Amino acid sequence: MSSHREAPEISKDPVADSTDLYAFVSPDKPDTVTLIANYIPLQSAAGGPNFYEFGEDVKYNIHIDTRGNGDADITYEFRFTTTLGDPDTFLYNTGPIGSLSSPNWNRKQHYEIIRWDLRGKKVVPTIIGQNLKCPPCNIGPLSTPKYATKLAEPAIHTLSDGVKVFAGQRAEGFYVDLGSIFDLGNLRPFENLNVFGKAIGLQSAAGVNATKLLNVHSIAMQIPVSQITEKDRPVIGVWTSASRQRVRIADSPGKHIFSGPFQQVSRLGMPLVNEVLIPMGAKDFWNGQQPVGDKQFAKYVANPELAGLLPVLYPDVFPRLAKLVASKKPRIDLEAILLTGIPSGIITGFTNFTGAVAADMLRLNTSIPPSSDPNILGLLGGDVAGFPNGRRVFDDVVSVELRAIAGLTYHLVDKKYKPDKAAGKLTDGLTPSSLGMPFLDAFPYLGVPFDGYDDPSS
Amino acid sequence: MPDLDDSAAVAAGRTADTEGPAPSRRSVLKGAAGVGAAGIAASALVTTAIAPASAATKATRTKKTSDDEATSDDIVVHVRDAASGELDVYRGTAHIEVHDHALAAHLARISR
Repeated sequence: MSSHREAPEISKDPVADSTDLYAFVSPDKPDTVTLIANYIPLQSAAGGPNFYEFGEDVKYNIHIDTRGNGDADITYEFRFTTTLGDPDTFLYNTGPIGSLSSPNWNRKQHYEIIRWDLRGKKVVPTIIGQNLKCPPCNIGPLSTPKYATKLAEPAIHTLSDGVKVFAGQRAEGFYVDLGSIFDLGNLRPFENLNVFGKAIGLQSAAGVNATKLLNVHSIAMQIPVSQITEKDRPVIGVWTSASRQRVRIADSPGKHIFSGPFQQVSRLGMPLVNEVLIPMGAKDFWNGQQPVGDKQFAKYVANPELAGLLPVLYPDVFPRLAKLVASKKPRIDLEAILLTGIPSGIITGFTNFTGAVAADMLRLNTSIPPSSDPNILGLLGGDVAGFPNGRRVFDDVVSVELRAIAGLTYHLVDKKYKPDKAAGKLTDGLTPSSLGMPFLDAFPYLGVPFDGYDDPSS
Repeated sequence: MPDLDDSAAVAAGRTADTEGPAPSRRSVLKGAAGVGAAGIAASALVTTAIAPASAATKATRTKKTSDDEATSDDIVVHVRDAASGELDVYRGTAHIEVHDHALAAHLARISR
């Protein structure tokens, strides 16, 4: 998945597991950028009585590199606190939750936000929000009636500096056919060409979305562009991270002692990097590193294992890719897309280059206005406002990255290279409609979470 | 760039009040499993503070904090290598690397 359960250690720690990161110029408010960091993957809507919540012991960060050096220049830190109203009931709620202050809601969360300005010699932290309320999880029509208007919308807070924030449950926005892809690289639309699929007579089929009817927890911000860009530098790099203190002692049942510095246990910039490009033995280590040090991982981007597997899994479908892999030429195209941004002069009228520092960040050129006719294939579909220029909630990052790894983008750096025809058609067969819940036209854009009564089966 | 994950709460002058239990006057001495290269199994909670550092103690406070007193009084000691006297001391959001043969030996004795 984009980054759901992508490394052995973090797969056992869902509360700190960053799953997706989005960054885009807000389509309905183009003087702002929307950043969304998702955590706690694969939530079944019916997952009570202890419904999903952020970790009080986790420090959630959204980092922004404004100067192109791979380091954070601005960091927004989120810390959550849980309040238990009545410890003598087993219930999450003892009646309908009609508002965020409802006494029927037994387990509430709120949070504070610290903005760190790291550009000067002296670190300047500012608390920009305190006691901000999260919405409850969407339980069902009896417990959380009028969820969207009475619970979710009131949980959108506007801070004094004009920043909008939301932290709470949302419908999953990432669509992917996990069940097929992790079954030996199978893509259902092309499974008749897969070496193993062909052997058992599989025929081309439609994709099946593995995240359908599932929820996630989002930390969303809508920030005036002027607050997160430098003069004459419209391109920003964004990533999210989660950290835990190094020592945790189970002191007594339900009570823990925490001590020591915070240590990063999860991070996410570009989708699917740690998932697909970083080998199993390095994934946990990758999660603990900073983007500025990503040169150490560049070899995995320059020579991706998946590029070598595609011609093997799909015999005779990728002959040109096979030759490219055999040549051992580094995939400069992927390094640009994933580690530095695309320099100007490669694609007419477009750049999201941040500099020579190889760093896994989601790069957004904030000077490019939102598209009035967006294409889910983003840049590959001729839509410069879409992935990998940032990432919108509906962008089909699976197809884009599959095609890029299959060689579709290599001609950008080697005009003599002709991609295989199949490289331009690769897909797992899904679109945003595969999610089963529409995106919103306004902040926080990700859809209303599925409720456990109506969608209990996932 | 300052390492936020190591020093954030400190630089902000704020207390790490959400992740830990209410402060107590207790010191926590904890050792990792094993002896020698694998460390000492001294996962004992004791009510005494760590003995004053001996003349042989060398401490490197890699994560100095200004609000240790405010964050928590819990102190966690990890005997990384009893043979060399290498210990990690955690307090609040600080991590101090200590070399103290006597203390390591003492912890080794009481953990048996």
